[in-house]
Amino acid sequence: MRDYLNWAKDILISARGQGGEARDGSFLELKNVSVSFGRLTAVDQVNLVIRQGDIAAIIGPNGAGKTTMLKLISGLLPLSQGEIWFKQRRLDKISPHHIASLGVTQVFQDIQLFSNMSILENVMVGCHVWTDAGFLSTGLKLPHAKAEEKEIMERAMSKLSLVGLEQKALAPPANLSWSEQKISGLARALAAEPDLLLLDEPYGGLMTSEIEKLSQLLLKLQQGGITILMVEQRTDEALEIANQVIILDSGAKVADAAPSEIQSNEHLIATYLGGRITEGGKLHYAASE
Amino acid sequence: MPASRAVEQPGKNMKILKHTPVPILGQVKKTIELRRTKVEHLIMALVVVLFLTMPLFAGPYPLAIMMDIGFYAIVTMGLILLMGQAGQLSLGQAVFFGLGAYSSAILTTQHHLAPWLALMLAAIITGSIAAGIGRAVLRLRGIIVSGVTLVLNLIFFYLVLSLVDLTGGANGIINIPSLSPVGVIPDSLFDYYFLWIVAFLLLAFSLNLVNSRTGRALRTMNILAGGGEETAQVLGVNVMKYKVQVFTLSAVYASIAGSIYAHHIGCIEPEIFGAHLSLLVAIMAIVGGMASPWGAFLGAGLLTGLTELLGGVRVGSG
Repeated sequence: MRDYLNWAKDILISARGQGGEARDGSFLELKNVSVSFGRLTAVDQVNLVIRQGDIAAIIGPNGAGKTTMLKLISGLLPLSQGEIWFKQRRLDKISPHHIASLGVTQVFQDIQLFSNMSILENVMVGCHVWTDAGFLSTGLKLPHAKAEEKEIMERAMSKLSLVGLEQKALAPPANLSWSEQKISGLARALAAEPDLLLLDEPYGGLMTSEIEKLSQLLLKLQQGGITILMVEQRTDEALEIANQVIILDSGAKVADAAPSEIQSNEHLIATYLGGRITEGGKLHYAASE
Repeated sequence: MPASRAVEQPGKNMKILKHTPVPILGQVKKTIELRRTKVEHLIMALVVVLFLTMPLFAGPYPLAIMMDIGFYAIVTMGLILLMGQAGQLSLGQAVFFGLGAYSSAILTTQHHLAPWLALMLAAIITGSIAAGIGRAVLRLRGIIVSGVTLVLNLIFFYLVLSLVDLTGGANGIINIPSLSPVGVIPDSLFDYYFLWIVAFLLLAFSLNLVNSRTGRALRTMNILAGGGEETAQVLGVNVMKYKVQVFTLSAVYASIAGSIYAHHIGCIEPEIFGAHLSLLVAIMAIVGGMASPWGAFLGAGLLTGLTELLGGVRVGSG
């Protein structure tokens, strides 16, 4: 009964969001968002607007609250203060699975592929959000469930093909390289047909050639209409594909601008990106010295 | 790569991501089907032949052991769905086995319902109670769930002892009618075939479930299989709903086995449904393997066989 009450509450909140308050049409908006764990303030009064079709990158030092931000949007962590709106629906009052059904899908840093499923099955899980066959219809293999299963498999294979892993469909996750596992996790998220992808350190642990390949894929997804909000430690790679860069430090937003603006700000580069601008006006990272 | 690539018209190239048929899809489907059919059909054929012909050459004692294996297999199968698929460590299967047995016995001996109807009503009653318990217990996580469900065995035991008017207390309930239609075939033979047909139907149901959207959703919650509740939730799985549903389903399996058991034996008493039975069933699930419902038959067969070899006491012997 509680689930049904929650469901009804979710619907009411969504309805209020659609008609009750005038919104500015932004795709994703965080309003004065804060979250605290005891005395520690992980995210401190952050205001943020993400436009549809953009790739936005959140960067900043360790412990800046980057991953926490993603978890707040996907509903895995409750807000201490503020509001989160997505396509004119308020997210911070609804459950994570309902947020997923609205078109927000998160890919974790450690991917978390299911080890007792093939790569294909892992991606098929991603289709859960837009299918509805229940225990009885799947257990009895009713026509609706059979048709849905066929559609799920076709869609999952299509996503694997999109990311170039269709030949690994029947392999267990353990047989794939780290890069392939990361891409599989992305395919699983894509199977949910998301409007907004939340990526937690997508380049983590990848080699340069793999990063280049993943960047191309992310740009392809962007061209396909998917909005991407990523958290990334590898700032130079993130700056290359992002339209919008947000710098967080100690939970507070210290910058929110186009990459070109960030790259021309000496203070930001020196403080948060670990680099400097050379006399020729070019960006030079300390790491490359 | 350019520093910034603004998209002027989001979605205008949506065709890039549009679902397109994959050439090797047919090959993949065929490989999956072959994997399933090769192993499962072979085992299924062997088991069905064995089970059908068993009464022709086996005496009452081996048939009684086969009945025990059937009861255990059904209860274990439910637990495998709950523990092996969804990763919920429950030790309360004996409670639902007992609820099924007592509900059926009470409905037939005190309310004079037909055993068939009583069996179905018992499953509904047990399922409803399990859904209520599941909503409360499954908010907890991990080993705490197994601790709380283990305590349920004690609560059930003392409830049965104290509700003397309803359950007969320590004396239990006697003269429970058989499921067998009078005079068609001997009761024991009817019960044997009925139990195993039900077991195979539930196996087919379970296999369908495991290889479907629902089964995959259950596995996303299983920490032992690389899943977790956070991953499941961001993929759109309503974790609490699925946990309660599979808990209820496993209880219904146990209830059906309990009802058939009560009608087969004809009398029940509280000692049969103690915590030892819940622990035994959990061991059967672990020994048989929790990845597939087939593990229930393997675990039940191995442990029942071992118990017999070591001169233990069968469930059927009360």
